[in-house]
Amino acid sequence: MQVMKIKYGEPFRIPRRLGDLFKDVVRIDGVDYVRGEGFTVRDYYALSNLNKILIRLGLVLLPMVTCTICGRDVDCEECEYTDVCRKDVNLCLCRECTYSEDVVDKYRLSVRKRVFKG
Amino acid sequence: MNWTEKYRPRSLVDVVGNEEAKERLVNYLRSWDRYPKDGILLYGPAGVGKTASVYAAANDLGYHVIELNASDVRSADRIQRAVGGLSRGRTLDAYFWGRAMRPLVFFDEIDGLDPREDTGGLSAVLEIASKKEFPVVAAANFIDPVKHKQLLQSFEVVEFRSLTPRQIIVVLSRIVREEGLSVGREDLVKIAERARGDARMAINMLYSLSMGGDVEALANPMENLPINMLLQRISSSISLPEIRALIEANPQHWKDVLYTYFDIIARSPVMKDDRRLSLLGVVSLVDTMIGRMERERMYFYMRYIPHLLSWIVYQANKWGAVYDGRIPEYRFYLFVSNRAVREELDALLEELGRRLHESRRKFLVGTLAPAALLHRNQFKKLYEWVSRTFGLRV
Repeated sequence: MQVMKIKYGEPFRIPRRLGDLFKDVVRIDGVDYVRGEGFTVRDYYALSNLNKILIRLGLVLLPMVTCTICGRDVDCEECEYTDVCRKDVNLCLCRECTYSEDVVDKYRLSVRKRVFKG
Repeated sequence: MNWTEKYRPRSLVDVVGNEEAKERLVNYLRSWDRYPKDGILLYGPAGVGKTASVYAAANDLGYHVIELNASDVRSADRIQRAVGGLSRGRTLDAYFWGRAMRPLVFFDEIDGLDPREDTGGLSAVLEIASKKEFPVVAAANFIDPVKHKQLLQSFEVVEFRSLTPRQIIVVLSRIVREEGLSVGREDLVKIAERARGDARMAINMLYSLSMGGDVEALANPMENLPINMLLQRISSSISLPEIRALIEANPQHWKDVLYTYFDIIARSPVMKDDRRLSLLGVVSLVDTMIGRMERERMYFYMRYIPHLLSWIVYQANKWGAVYDGRIPEYRFYLFVSNRAVREELDALLEELGRRLHESRRKFLVGTLAPAALLHRNQFKKLYEWVSRTFGLRV
């Protein structure tokens, strides 16, 4: 079984020939296809429905998110909350930032930059 | 003072999670008068910051929020009365509040308005928003794509999602710091795990803990889920124990889960017919059990129903059934779209009911519905099946 990591809302290519399954894949609510760019998945539900089809081709997609504070990539499968989290967001926090002393101030600063653009 | 109130965010930078949704809300409030849509609709589960974001954004951008809760104000007349005077009073308002304080109309729990049952409430909201005299923000937990079609067309739809446990830790860390609590990291982790993405629930849990409560005794994260969240969770799970645990924790939704799965199994375009048949057989069995439990008080069935129901869900998920967000009504007629076919079917039912000495409805729901769905509404095949099964020439 091949495992591939993707981010919600970012285009990716499926390294398999989908053949007849292509129709079923693009019919999933939350999965979009743009010729030349590839597929994008909107959320966890779309991803789990997509995995139900791709598993037949020996491929599983796993979600990856970005840390709101430091911008690092965070692997959902290595998170201590992987069993209880719904994993349907693009932005979360990395372990270092979550448990740092000044997480609240850092978080406020990053939200100010992102939402109010400065 | 209640901590959820005490720590209600005063600015959007204090609202944790849903960054993209907050950004879209700010963009709308900055340019609502030239926005392509009439308003903005925030939807998502409880306790994820929808209302908090509206008040915090209003505070940041200089708006005065006029909140109408759709659970209390339902008729067109009452909504018009509450909001109608706003445009006239705008100049006076600006005089008293200063030029920066502009009105923002906020309809909370708009999913409580039913376009058929409430006397024009939803139309009134749409009409008010279409005039574009002030920004209109609506919030909802669950939006039915059919019932609220007009609302979805006129409003910009922004989804708020449950917070991740690590985001919950940030919410809790702020309170721990400001209250000067000595709570260990393990306790915060336990709360984050149990709050199921609901910041309000997490804050209440922290409050109980600070009052000497035991974190182990806090709520089971799977209990009392809203039906749409339960369906989303079980339909996206591929673990049988997880599905069973969710179903066992929510007995109030067993019937809805069963009927929803009846619908999605019957309509799945990818499921093979022999698999569909075996699943519908178990659906029928569970339906009988629930019926007997309710009518004849045979409560010992409660022991078996979660096992069978979770098996149906697990297998249906595995075999490609997809939940599309709708809770269907248990009406077989909806699947028969062609009028000529419906009339022919009516005649057939009359005939079969007469010959089999059975009520039309009982025959329709109990026997023919699953059979017709199996034949995907191909009437000729259905005729053949009826002839073969009942030994009748119809």
